[in-house]
Amino acid sequence: MTAFSIIGKSVKRNDLIDKVTGSAKYVADMQFPGLLYGKTLRSNVAHARILRIDASRALALPGVKAVLTHSDVPRVLHAGSPHPRSASLSCDQYILDDKVRFWGESVAVVAATSEEIAEEALGLIQVEYELLPAVFTVEEALRPGAPLVHDLGPGGNQVLDPVTCQRGDVEKGFQEADLILEGDYEGGRPVPAYMEPNVCTCQWDPTGGLTVWISTQTSFMVRGIMAEVLGLPLNKVRVLVDHMGGGFGAKQDLFQTEFLCALLARKTGRPVRMEFTREETFLGGRTRHPARIWLKQGFKKDGTITARQARIVYTSGAYGSHGPGVTNVGTTALASLYRCENIHVVGSCVYTNTPIAGAFRGFGVVQAYYALDIQMDEAAVALGMDPAELKLRNAVREGDVAPSGHPLIGHGLEDCIRRGKEEVGWEALRSRERDEHGPVRRGWGLGCEMHGSSAYPGIKEQGNAIVKMNEDGTVVLFTGTAGLGTGTHTVQAQIVAEEIGVTFESVSVVHGDTDAVPWDIGAFASHTTYMGGRVAQMAAAEVKAQLVARAALQQAVDPSQIEVRDGVVSVKGTDRSVSVREVMMPKRGIPAPQFVGSATYHPTKSYSFAAHFVEVAVDIETGAVKVLQVVPVHEVGKVIHPVAAAGQIEGGIQQGIGHTLYEDFQIDLKTGRSLNPNFVDYKMPLFMDMPTIRTVLLETAPDPGGPWGAKGIGEDPIVAIGPAIANAIYDAIGVRFHHYPIKPEQVLAALQEREGGAQ
Amino acid sequence: MNQVINLTLNGEPRTLMVACHRTLLDTLRLEGGLTGTKKGCDVGECGSCTIIMNGKLVNACLVLAVEANGAEIITIEGIQRSALELHPLQENFIKYGAAQCGFCTPGFIVAAKALLDENPRPTIDEIRFAMAGNICRCTGYTKIVQAVDETAREMQENGREAL
Ligand code: FES
Ligand code: FES
Repeated sequence: MTAFSIIGKSVKRNDLIDKVTGSAKYVADMQFPGLLYGKTLRSNVAHARILRIDASRALALPGVKAVLTHSDVPRVLHAGSPHPRSASLSCDQYILDDKVRFWGESVAVVAATSEEIAEEALGLIQVEYELLPAVFTVEEALRPGAPLVHDLGPGGNQVLDPVTCQRGDVEKGFQEADLILEGDYEGGRPVPAYMEPNVCTCQWDPTGGLTVWISTQTSFMVRGIMAEVLGLPLNKVRVLVDHMGGGFGAKQDLFQTEFLCALLARKTGRPVRMEFTREETFLGGRTRHPARIWLKQGFKKDGTITARQARIVYTSGAYGSHGPGVTNVGTTALASLYRCENIHVVGSCVYTNTPIAGAFRGFGVVQAYYALDIQMDEAAVALGMDPAELKLRNAVREGDVAPSGHPLIGHGLEDCIRRGKEEVGWEALRSRERDEHGPVRRGWGLGCEMHGSSAYPGIKEQGNAIVKMNEDGTVVLFTGTAGLGTGTHTVQAQIVAEEIGVTFESVSVVHGDTDAVPWDIGAFASHTTYMGGRVAQMAAAEVKAQLVARAALQQAVDPSQIEVRDGVVSVKGTDRSVSVREVMMPKRGIPAPQFVGSATYHPTKSYSFAAHFVEVAVDIETGAVKVLQVVPVHEVGKVIHPVAAAGQIEGGIQQGIGHTLYEDFQIDLKTGRSLNPNFVDYKMPLFMDMPTIRTVLLETAPDPGGPWGAKGIGEDPIVAIGPAIANAIYDAIGVRFHHYPIKPEQVLAALQEREGGAQ
Repeated sequence: MNQVINLTLNGEPRTLMVACHRTLLDTLRLEGGLTGTKKGCDVGECGSCTIIMNGKLVNACLVLAVEANGAEIITIEGIQRSALELHPLQENFIKYGAAQCGFCTPGFIVAAKALLDENPRPTIDEIRFAMAGNICRCTGYTKIVQAVDETAREMQENGREAL
């Protein structure tokens, strides 16, 4: 292919007109005649057996139409995130159980004619608990004889058997080392904090069919598990998702409300909507897995890594959710990024009586690379090297074994580091005069990462698409991929238009209706462009072949002589051309053609790379850290829509600044109670906290598995920014932090401790 | 207890019957049929319910509907110039990618409109400050600043009438 017509251009996104005018319909915007409002009663204890629930007073309240407790709902054990093709699932949830395992777990639900009545009814339900001893930290959960959160699983409070990744001989590697570094690192408990609270509406039709309007990243998974748990065939469950207000990974799970909403709707014979309050998005939503990492590495004087040994322990909270996947992906990530022949890393995941950790952008890798990349910075200091040089020397290269077990394609990481160094003038920054006057100290840091597009090998991935051409030459793509807000349906329309050779405006996209579009695994694992885009391209290629054959027949030339571009069909080497529309239009006596292409794609995996260069200012009088500027360099294979791609990076950086400096969902370690489930006490970066961001996109390591080499981008930015900030803080004040979030009081305390030590 | 209120919604006089404890946000969305204004928290923490009431920006979730009796209200649905013509802010939010999931977007556009009505050529910091109460979790805010700044620049070039 010569120059692209549509790929690489920031065309007008096809979802934004609705969004800027307020006409976009999110689930909570849809009105239904006779709608009832469902509300959840949540536990105010962390671990208990339910002895008795008395809902009679709630049921007597005028306007209350139904109450459901654990004894009213089917008792089916299921996975919180029931990915149908996942290698490891933790099947540990019931719709409602006779036990609660964390503060804030659902105990009963009410449907009423207004939200206010439903809320009032919750206060009238009486629950009698028998309190059980609880475990709130990994230490408590792993103590011999500790109370068990579940009676299932491999034993103790383990969610799964430990994940091990081993190669070479670490003992030998450490013997060969000139320098050995060892440290403990810790990641906190941030939440995704999507702006649209979880919501679904359920309605049954007279034939026994269920329709679910829901904000989810995985509509076919919702369909599958609802059908299974409610005992329905798949053609009787229709799941609809149009616009959704963010998910960031977490909206891959089921939150029990989906089942309960359907059961309330069945019981009352009316449509029911259940919408989380903001507080419920904390209590009943999903967090990132808090993690503890012990990491030890050996280095030669020249910076070569001789051995890497690590143990990583993730906190799952009360249910397994994505614990197995996160543990696998995060643990194996530690075997890569920087080359090393002698590796021994072990990961585990532990149940505690705390809110559920699930999938959240970065999926276990945020924690792992925070530790690894900070330790690389420490090694550079100890070896007297430039950290960028040390990272360049060890960066994974073409052919190295990736975390997935595949050979890597391209030198993406090296390219990112080199380009970033040029962009910021790294050499000059390293040797700059330091301004030690006044309370503000500035510092620069580098953070690196790589992240897989697709969840392979943990999930056997599959993408499907159907493309059809109308008789006027316009095109429709049918896709099951979800539009979280990333612009993916625009990107896919660009790909289809480019592949066939029609204009962007002539492609429309049908999505979000499980009855109408082909099956899709869901939007996660940075794979929607890589897999969904590639399969759309494959289906489009089928349509193009049919179009070319017809045009060749009309022009009486061989199909190899036909060229299609920007909606025009021409015969090579001649000045003959007609529009695609003319080729397709029915001719007298000849019916209009029906050109349909469909494709299925089973990708393996590709890796995208990033290096973030960050400048921070640390106020040594207040301990406050401000991120002044970020230069993120991302290698993504091929850029389809530059503005949308940069938007992903900027948003990821915002969330990464959040978990590194501010965000921590706190749990009281005596009672298990959530302490800050709201946007006042849970601090996120706001408009005034954001630095300038100068994004650089590279296309130096295209992957043949993606459309024109394109790879994923959704998760990468949130991984690299954290260690970049921590390393910049070290550069500014010479204090090393091994945890996130790094709070002002901790910065102050560390500075004071150092002063004390110096005196 | 219910009460009848009269108000002007996006230039149209309306009479609504509302429960006394109902917020203006719920009233706009339910009785008013204007669902462009979003509920991200319902307690004044996120700005997704931002509207203009009597010329001032307010969080509709913090106002009771009965307090809006006699008020003039502009929501996201009232920003467009006509059914077929977008406001320049809306055009630029699209062009610069200032919306991703779009859930915060109505609040931001309404806040930006109020800002530009009052201060036609704000500095970057004034833009950021004016929207400090609106949370966006997708964009990192950079493209929102760009869209507002660009609109202000166009507005200055084309003259105020152009808006
Ligand atoms: S919904 Fe009103 S401020 Fe959040
Ligand atoms: S675009 Fe999603 S919250 Fe702003």
